[in-house]
Amino acid sequence: MKYTERQVSVPLCAVSTTSGLLNRTGSWKFAEPVFVDRISPCNQQCPAGEDIAGYMYLASQARFKEAWTLITEENPFPAIMGRICFHPCEGECNRKEHDEAVAIHMVERFIGDYGLSNKLNVPVSEPDKKRKIAVVGAGPAGLSAAYHARRMGYPVTVYDSNERPGGLMRYGIPPCRLPKDILDGELQRLFEMGIEFKMGVTIGKDMTWEELKSTYDALFFALGAYEEQALNIKGLDKAGVFHALAFLKEINLGKKPSIGKHMAVIGGGNSAIDCARASRRLGATVTIVYRRSEAEMPAHPEEVAMAKEEGVQFLFLATPQEAYGDKAVTGMKLEKMTLGEPDDSGRRRPVPTGETVAMECDGMIMAIGEYTRIDDLPSFVSHTRGVVTTDHMGRTSDPSAFAGGDIIDIPHTVTHGIGSGKRAALAIDRFLRGSTDDYGDFDRLRWGEKGTVSIGRLMGTALFKRRNPSSDVAAYEGLNAFYFDLRPRMKIHTIPLKKRVTGFQEVVEPPSEEEAVSEATRCFNCGSCTECGNCYIFCPECAIKRDPGGYGYYADMDYCKGCGICVYECPRGAMKMQYME
Amino acid sequence: MKKVLTGNVAVAYGAMLSDVQVVAAYPITPQTTIIEELATMQAEGLADFDYIRVESEHSAMAACIGAAMGGARAFTATCGQGLFLMHEMLHYAAGARTPVVLANVNRAPAAPWTIWSDQTDSASQRETGWIQLYCEGNQEVLDTTIMAFKIAEDLRLPVMVVLDAFFLSHTSEPIDIPEKQAVRAFLPPFDPGDLWLDPDNPRTFGSLTMTNAYMEFRWQIQRDMERGKKIITEVHEEFARAFGRSYHQVEAYRTENADVIIAVTGTVASTGRDAIDLLIDRGEHVGMVKLKTLRPFPREEVIAAFSGKKKVAVIDRNFSPGATGIWAQEIRSALYDLPENDRPLVYGYIVGLGGRDISVKTIESIYRKTMQDDRPDDVDMWIGVNYV
Repeated sequence: MKYTERQVSVPLCAVSTTSGLLNRTGSWKFAEPVFVDRISPCNQQCPAGEDIAGYMYLASQARFKEAWTLITEENPFPAIMGRICFHPCEGECNRKEHDEAVAIHMVERFIGDYGLSNKLNVPVSEPDKKRKIAVVGAGPAGLSAAYHARRMGYPVTVYDSNERPGGLMRYGIPPCRLPKDILDGELQRLFEMGIEFKMGVTIGKDMTWEELKSTYDALFFALGAYEEQALNIKGLDKAGVFHALAFLKEINLGKKPSIGKHMAVIGGGNSAIDCARASRRLGATVTIVYRRSEAEMPAHPEEVAMAKEEGVQFLFLATPQEAYGDKAVTGMKLEKMTLGEPDDSGRRRPVPTGETVAMECDGMIMAIGEYTRIDDLPSFVSHTRGVVTTDHMGRTSDPSAFAGGDIIDIPHTVTHGIGSGKRAALAIDRFLRGSTDDYGDFDRLRWGEKGTVSIGRLMGTALFKRRNPSSDVAAYEGLNAFYFDLRPRMKIHTIPLKKRVTGFQEVVEPPSEEEAVSEATRCFNCGSCTECGNCYIFCPECAIKRDPGGYGYYADMDYCKGCGICVYECPRGAMKMQYME
Repeated sequence: MKKVLTGNVAVAYGAMLSDVQVVAAYPITPQTTIIEELATMQAEGLADFDYIRVESEHSAMAACIGAAMGGARAFTATCGQGLFLMHEMLHYAAGARTPVVLANVNRAPAAPWTIWSDQTDSASQRETGWIQLYCEGNQEVLDTTIMAFKIAEDLRLPVMVVLDAFFLSHTSEPIDIPEKQAVRAFLPPFDPGDLWLDPDNPRTFGSLTMTNAYMEFRWQIQRDMERGKKIITEVHEEFARAFGRSYHQVEAYRTENADVIIAVTGTVASTGRDAIDLLIDRGEHVGMVKLKTLRPFPREEVIAAFSGKKKVAVIDRNFSPGATGIWAQEIRSALYDLPENDRPLVYGYIVGLGGRDISVKTIESIYRKTMQDDRPDDVDMWIGVNYV
């Protein structure tokens, strides 16, 4: 077989003689992909401004120490939060559109407990700033303000009239929800940070507000709401009538108040539920009497469900008019109510019907809400009926005084209090540094539009790099849910019912590490790059490259043709296409 | 080390011992256990390669081509319908001169749906520019897989290792597994020379080529196919020296006194050896030739093996509708230029399609018919068909 002898001057395969890099195929695009860091709905919703999407990412890789550090950049108490926060984050979780919301609080609880059992601490050096800060009130808001101010380098002194710090976390929440060793473990860290505590000191009595104000450069006060609302009910002076906070304080001091056998708890909030569940544990039968229906109860539904499991009875659409009995209460006259138009809170208003019924009971606990004692407030700040006037950062009418917690116009929860303390610490820092910049960079500071702020977002954190932060919130529609399997929410275990109603042992059992990691992997990490690599893999032009800076990817605009496949394939909405000029 | 292995596991061992760097494959019966075994080997750390999951055989081959262009040793496996889906990329692999190795487990084409063996899938890819090596037993499968990489990388042409479905793929035999170090000495790492896709200096490969150069590229494929006849023999000889097992492109079995030669491929060769022994014992003048390479077709060796014989009976477990069996076409074509006195008559037989057994009796009846008929029929005889 003969072939021509002529030498062929071609290579084996057709190949260009110049580098393909000369051909900048990206030059004809009219739109470009951009890596953005959108805000996850959970982060936006967290009253304490935690980076939930971030720490879930770390926890999913069992990087618990880093996860703990990421939380404690925002919130000093992850182990407490994982137990008692009513996790509004989960109500906004995009995953609930997919199957069920992530059990964020259980993962947070695991991370918090991990921090306690591994004795993780928050490193601080000696206070390096000369200006001193006083905090009045050692509840969630005050402790949060003290913690953040101390981390910023300020010397901080906390005053509180109680013997021990913690506020409602210590004296209001029963140990079956928040064991005291957990609280003490979390507080120990604050002692170790060098925050000075002056307990048993009541400002306004042992020391005047003015004296305090002149001693310190800035003042944060969060006195809480302790005054029971006065009700127009006859006979409340009889024996056997308790007030919620006083009752819960006894419980939390480990005492066993002598209550009746058939207790009536008046009210529909979380205090009412706590009082009812505590009474069950003291051996009583309990009926909660609430003037609206179950749908309008301010108490958290999970707590209501647990109360029901524990045998607490509910009587809705009824309000007491009179407590019967000679010296001790033996029953109540209740007026039946009906639901009318919605009130300011959006809940339907209770309307009296005039019809009354009698109900037997040998003890009553009034849990109908508390407000601030106006007399306790310093005279130099303005307030409206006991609600101290502040801006969104906790600044009062007095430039050096800041307020937070239940005395300002925010929901009365521990987490909201913690968030208010953090915002005030930031405001105090601005004030003490003489900054007139009125949060021009507030966009960099806050998660979305619901008023929560993040120090990590402001400062940037090495733990979970967020590039090109956007003020967009990552909606479910913007995710590519194809990449997420269907997996039910973790099962939350409780101790046996028999044990629950006979003592104050913690009801919800701790999640295992395996459960925590598994649940964290259910998180979509909405809006944040987790380096999943989809953009990198799908780019038809190989124009998505690893960021040499160490985290994530970037698009090489010389060769990106602007097709948008990367944006479409991003599972978590951490990219967007934008038209070019 | 000896182990009892199926043909498919033998393929996987061959690829693993060859230090394959990229595997991209899509599962299809009866190939599946090859890539399952490779996945297991990778998971257990026996092999270190990138396993690319793909959505089709077309993508599997495209990924292998890309990997090979990037300078990696790439492997895939398929059969039947999967090979047909790869067809476009098979041409491309050869044209781009990528030394991809593909194990094809012969599976008859659909419709009607079938999973059993015949060679029509691989034989119908004759014109794609792939070297095709047909194996008789599981040891040959393993050894040929290793040799395939050496041949492919030397010639810069893709190689298809072909084995019969079930007769080999799912049948176990004791196999001698070579030592990895010995295989490494035999098969050095793939050196792509200058012809590879360097991410730091990307070049355009296989772009539009004008009429003034296209034929030259194609001519080079043919030149290297011709060279391949020599290279394949050399690699087989080198393998024999290193591992003590010899295989041949064209192997004669007891042809010394034969007037009639039965030409066989694949597993039929094993049955053929029994049939030939039986017939010679009965005093028949018969012998057998086993062919291993369909492309490049070993024309010279075929001429040497058949020249001067009276008749050749070609057993084709495949066919080209409207023509004849594919091996018969090739052999007839190779022998055509012989002087009339040396040129045997070529009898074509279509047998065993869709996995139907080819037994010693079948081969005996083919021999009888070849002996009886003075001249071959105009078309190939179909053996064992219940004509409708």
